[in-house]
Amino acid sequence: MKSWMCWDCWGVTSVTLCKLSLRNARRQARDYLVYLVTVILSAALIHAFNGLVFSQELQALSPFMRSLPLITVLVSAVVIAIMGWLIRYITNFMLSRRSKELGTYILIGLENGQVARMFFLENLAVGALALLAGLLLGGLLFQILRAVTLSLFHVPYTFRLSVSPKAVTLTIAYFAVIYLLALRSCGKRLRRMQICDLLSYDRQGEEEMIRKSRSRRRVFTLSIASGILGTLLLLTGSLLFGIIGAALVIFFLYGFFLSFSSGVPAYFNARPGKKYGTHTLLVFRALSFKMGTMGMTMATIALLFTGTIISEGTGMLFGVLFQSRVEGTTCFDIFLGTTDGEPADFGPYLDYIEENISLRGSRQYRIYQGETRQITDYLLEHTDYYAYYSYDPLMAYSDYAALRAMLGYPEAPAEPGRYLIHCMAYLEDALEDYDTIVSVGGNALSPGNIYTESFSQKLWDGNGRGFLLVVPDECLVSRPVSHSVYGAMTAEPLSKADYERLADIHDGAGDDYGRGYAQDFYTLLAKDAVAREYASLSASTIFPLFYLALVLTLVSATILTVQQLSQGPRFARQFGLLEKLGMDRREMARTLRRQLAVYYAMPALPPLLISVPLLVAMGHSFEPGTIAGAWQLAGILGVTLGLFFLIYLLYILTAYSSLRRSVLPD
Amino acid sequence: MLQVQAIEKYYGSKNNVTKALDRVSFDVEEGEFIAIMGASGSGKTTLLNCISTIDTVSAGHILLNGQDISKLPRQELARFRREKLGFVFQDFNLLDTLTLEENIGLALTINHMDPNLVRDRVQDVAMRLGIDDILEKFPTQVSGGQKQRAACARAIVAGQSLILADEPTGALDSRASKNLLEIMTKMNREMKATILMVTHDAYSASYASRVLFLKDGRLFNELLRGKRARSAVYHEILDVLGLLGGDISDVM
Repeated sequence: MKSWMCWDCWGVTSVTLCKLSLRNARRQARDYLVYLVTVILSAALIHAFNGLVFSQELQALSPFMRSLPLITVLVSAVVIAIMGWLIRYITNFMLSRRSKELGTYILIGLENGQVARMFFLENLAVGALALLAGLLLGGLLFQILRAVTLSLFHVPYTFRLSVSPKAVTLTIAYFAVIYLLALRSCGKRLRRMQICDLLSYDRQGEEEMIRKSRSRRRVFTLSIASGILGTLLLLTGSLLFGIIGAALVIFFLYGFFLSFSSGVPAYFNARPGKKYGTHTLLVFRALSFKMGTMGMTMATIALLFTGTIISEGTGMLFGVLFQSRVEGTTCFDIFLGTTDGEPADFGPYLDYIEENISLRGSRQYRIYQGETRQITDYLLEHTDYYAYYSYDPLMAYSDYAALRAMLGYPEAPAEPGRYLIHCMAYLEDALEDYDTIVSVGGNALSPGNIYTESFSQKLWDGNGRGFLLVVPDECLVSRPVSHSVYGAMTAEPLSKADYERLADIHDGAGDDYGRGYAQDFYTLLAKDAVAREYASLSASTIFPLFYLALVLTLVSATILTVQQLSQGPRFARQFGLLEKLGMDRREMARTLRRQLAVYYAMPALPPLLISVPLLVAMGHSFEPGTIAGAWQLAGILGVTLGLFFLIYLLYILTAYSSLRRSVLPD
Repeated sequence: MLQVQAIEKYYGSKNNVTKALDRVSFDVEEGEFIAIMGASGSGKTTLLNCISTIDTVSAGHILLNGQDISKLPRQELARFRREKLGFVFQDFNLLDTLTLEENIGLALTINHMDPNLVRDRVQDVAMRLGIDDILEKFPTQVSGGQKQRAACARAIVAGQSLILADEPTGALDSRASKNLLEIMTKMNREMKATILMVTHDAYSASYASRVLFLKDGRLFNELLRGKRARSAVYHEILDVLGLLGGDISDVM
């Protein structure tokens, strides 16, 4: 009775109509299952990230986590806009597919307003269902995000199911905005439409933006040229060129897809031998027909895919960058460094450490200045090494052996008459080829073994920058000191309180501005603090990037799949005819597969050509040594594309199996 | 060329059997133009579907050039259809996404013809059927008559030996119908195409050299045109239809 009154207040005053409306909603959910699943998954993602926004537990992990809510809300705004586009697109699509049915309601005496309200309620019912399922799934998804975030901070995870009323309210508010805006515009259209408009609405496709075939061919050629130029400009790394490049790439995507329906047929028309090859004719014509009717949508999807791959790739690259920073910044649980050549006094720190922190081992040592900078020069010539010292840095073997033992690295035996090299992995290949004798304190030393474990070599006051030479202690008696270092390994993970106290000493030891310059104590680093900082950065950059990428993929793949599935009757007619004309069933199956493959490849191919070089350039723009080599970059690209295509493939297989069942039944 | 031997076709379940064809037998000689007439539900489309191997017979045999097509395996059936049969449908059955040239060329592509020869072959047939100037157009851009001529071109372009036409004038106005029937006569006479046409239009049937009448799934009568004028045959067909007792709308 209550629900009846609710429907009544909307002006749908017949029980039959209410039943019809609910039945339509059920049918809609069945017909557009792919869309419904996507809305549920997107709602779950939005809700899970809203959980992050309001989680006090996660924000308390680090001061850097305070930026997470703002970044998440900003990304959510983009996600909401894209979701709004999806829901508006599909609602309009449903309207066009059901226009005859809705026209019939008006024909039998319903008012436009009543039909509009019925359509509104049906969609709202489906949206509410998706939202409810999304909230439930989102709660679980939030637990996964929480577990991943806690693991980034090495905090043990315990399952604790909790519902954040604020997160639920925000998710509902987002969906209310999306649905009300989409349905309002659809309702307005329905109210204005005449019966004849509705009866013929399903025949209307997307209008061709470029009407003249000749203009389309010109735009096609121009767009290809601007795509190549735009990508090249993006690779320059210059801001101005980058902006121009991005504009050209956008022009390429829209120009290409809007003119494709002329450009490619023109190509094949000039080459009948290629056109009439097996499968080609049907495949390219089906594609050019699709492009002619949904070129604008295809272009937008290609743009979204470009955004997806770049977001995912950037997320992966940032992940590697942060990991490299954590590993490269310091290998010690506590690190103190000074750039001054005089023997350093780490007194205030050491006093605090001795009194309050239990250590597994510690060592204070010096880095010495080499007599020449021959290896530095060699690296500058042969690698993308960035030099800091005007000499090759040296370390005494006794210090090196003690530090390796403290760090738990395998022993590096001394080699009489030789120097050892400890370097970052990316310099190893170049240094293996180095065979020149180095003179230190009157001793001529030839190259020995090379070691590449993490060894605090990214800093100017660490163990050399990128590399150092380990030489016998006696060679260093008369060598000037480059700087002093203190490294310690703690028995227990360094607590946040202990680190903050050490930081207070560091700040207090400085000048009146608390900068620490006067005491020469330039650097205080704690491995756990660095890891916490980068964990916060990971959570506030990588999570939102993947969140965005996931929603972009889901939305784009859904539109493509819904469009394709709606072509079922047309496909059935086409394959019915082909069967009558005597096409072999295997060939028909192959044609269907190719048609689908080309249809799904089209909006994915240009993004690949744009984003892969861009990600490669981005990887190369990181500081040397961040990415170990081409194989690691290839791995990052592989995982990025693998993730993207995994989700995409699920949608493609759904479309294929559904079409195969309806078009080529066994 | 074609021998239909006592074929029967039943539809439905054990308790509710409908007999669509009841021991229908006839022969078709090479180069003949045969019309099959009958009221709605008389079994004429079922008969055409059985001959075209789209449907299977419940009993009896259909032999084309001595080969029993009812015994062909599925893969052979596809080959048989693409090599031997040409189809002309009431609703044209052209693919909207292909131009007329491509729709006609599709039959050659399915037959794995050398792609470089397809365009010339299509041009040749299109010229004979008077549609060579509209080959670049899509089906939505031409008239029903032109579409049906393109369908005729597709039906003979691969050298198919038997053209099966199902109500080919059903969706055409009288002028376009007349044009099409003249084209089909030309195909029959000049291009030596054997045509089997199902129609319930007496005017269309009057173009055939022989008319077979079906009633309730059985062969009811047969009319040979011989040397008589088309108009005389037309009136004779109307007389037979009167005897058949079909609905007047089927006759006119």
